[in-house]
Amino acid sequence: MMKCNKGFRVLCLVLAAFISMAVCASAGEKLRGLEQLKTSYLAVQRGTVGQFIAEDLLGDKKGELLTTYEKYVDAIASLRLGKVRAVVMDELPARRFLNEVKGLAIMSEALSEESYAIGFRKGNAELLGQVNKILAELKADGTLEAIFEKYLTGNLLEIKPESIDMNKGAAKGRLVVGTEAGFAPYELKVGSGYIGIDIEMCAAIAKKLDRELVIENMNFDALPMAVSTGKVDMICAGITVTEDRKENMDFSDEYVEGARQVAVVRADDYEAPGK
Amino acid sequence: MSANVNSRRGAGRGDAVLAVCAAVLLFLLFRSGFFTAEAWDDFGRRFYQNFVKDNRYMMLVDGLKATIFMTGFATLIGLAVGLILSVIRVAYKGGVPIRFLNAFAECYITVLRGTPAMVQLLIWNFTIFASARDLNTQYIAILAFGLNSGAYVAEIFRGGIESIDSGQMEAGRSLGLSYGTSMRFIVLPQALRNVVPMLFNEFIALLKETSVAGYIGIDDLTRAGQNIQALTLEHSQPLVMVAIIYLVIVMFLTGCVRRLEQWLGRSRRG
Repeated sequence: MMKCNKGFRVLCLVLAAFISMAVCASAGEKLRGLEQLKTSYLAVQRGTVGQFIAEDLLGDKKGELLTTYEKYVDAIASLRLGKVRAVVMDELPARRFLNEVKGLAIMSEALSEESYAIGFRKGNAELLGQVNKILAELKADGTLEAIFEKYLTGNLLEIKPESIDMNKGAAKGRLVVGTEAGFAPYELKVGSGYIGIDIEMCAAIAKKLDRELVIENMNFDALPMAVSTGKVDMICAGITVTEDRKENMDFSDEYVEGARQVAVVRADDYEAPGK
Repeated sequence: MSANVNSRRGAGRGDAVLAVCAAVLLFLLFRSGFFTAEAWDDFGRRFYQNFVKDNRYMMLVDGLKATIFMTGFATLIGLAVGLILSVIRVAYKGGVPIRFLNAFAECYITVLRGTPAMVQLLIWNFTIFASARDLNTQYIAILAFGLNSGAYVAEIFRGGIESIDSGQMEAGRSLGLSYGTSMRFIVLPQALRNVVPMLFNEFIALLKETSVAGYIGIDDLTRAGQNIQALTLEHSQPLVMVAIIYLVIVMFLTGCVRRLEQWLGRSRRG
């Protein structure tokens, strides 16, 4: 009987401790500017440029303050639960979170501006050259612009994957593209297919190469590995060109410029400057 | 009698713990506003968004198919590999001169049990089969999970074979049967019966293990949940739904094991 009571008491104590911890979530000073992020808990998606920016911001304290997640959804969830104060990510996907999830805000100052390009295995000059030539054509004839227009003005979820021509049964084989389809409006898995700016652009490239577009949907941090081992021909996932990445892969010409990296925060934890 | 009392007291404590847990859960749910009408409306709306709209549940169905496909075939590979490895090890111990095979089997079991399945999966996909681009990734996963499972199954089989009284083998040999024949017709059938429940448990574990397949680009059940998350940007519902589906399958399989155990127990007494 004694034993039974003891176990029960310990259990109650532990539970009480948890509950009091949950209730006494500390509320400090609100976020105002980027300066405060240097001493705040931050979350990012692993392997993204947001991670590099957050690491630079935090410096020596990154081990303590930075959490890297597999998916943006996880990072945003930890922000909403108050485990971190900000998530560093690309602006367009961040805007989509703001539309769908209540109680979020984006800090008005951007952390940086980036350019996106397609990544290739180092030394794969042949495909790189072909794709660069096609990219230039797509830019010149307005195809690329039309794709951006379609995704930035319309309702994303009304676009059906079946409407994208993957060039099935093409004569010159397959063009395998690695991506991480949780990065709307650039790439998103819908049903059993994919939509997004990158997907449509790759479809246009595949068409010009006379190859069938095959999408491999992987985790973002597995993409560099996939392209360098030759698992995929190229990776196209809103990938920011950085000097570090240039050491491990070759990049095409940039197809997006001025993509802002922003900090997503909780609306009730943020006081916009000028208010 | 005393054992009976003990077990009853244990159950009493278990009930108390369960009751406290349930109370805490209810309290937390209540605190988070779960029982308000708006919360239920919101729940329904999100449920519709996550699973009903545009037939999004089909993503989970397809994911479940991939999970079952992988688990099923990996199980077959695991059984075959495990049986061969265990027989090698037991035969070597029993005096059959196969030192190299035995060394290989020991190496295999040590390495595959000593490293995480996830790491093995990545190595299979990105190192060993790096250039096999036209090979369906699911086949690579089946191979990786099957060979991994084989190492565990080998140990289960070995335990089963060694649990059979050595008199059985001796009886067979003394009747003039060869080692192989006695093993095949006398020892293995009895051993198999002993290990069936443990094998089942291994495959239940394997089913859950396949949840890391998303890492190499397979849309299994877990990954399907994550794909829905990315689509609707909702965190909890898809994950909880995935958990429930796994749980239902595992509970079903566990029920089968229990039935099987009872059935095996009865036939042994008979």
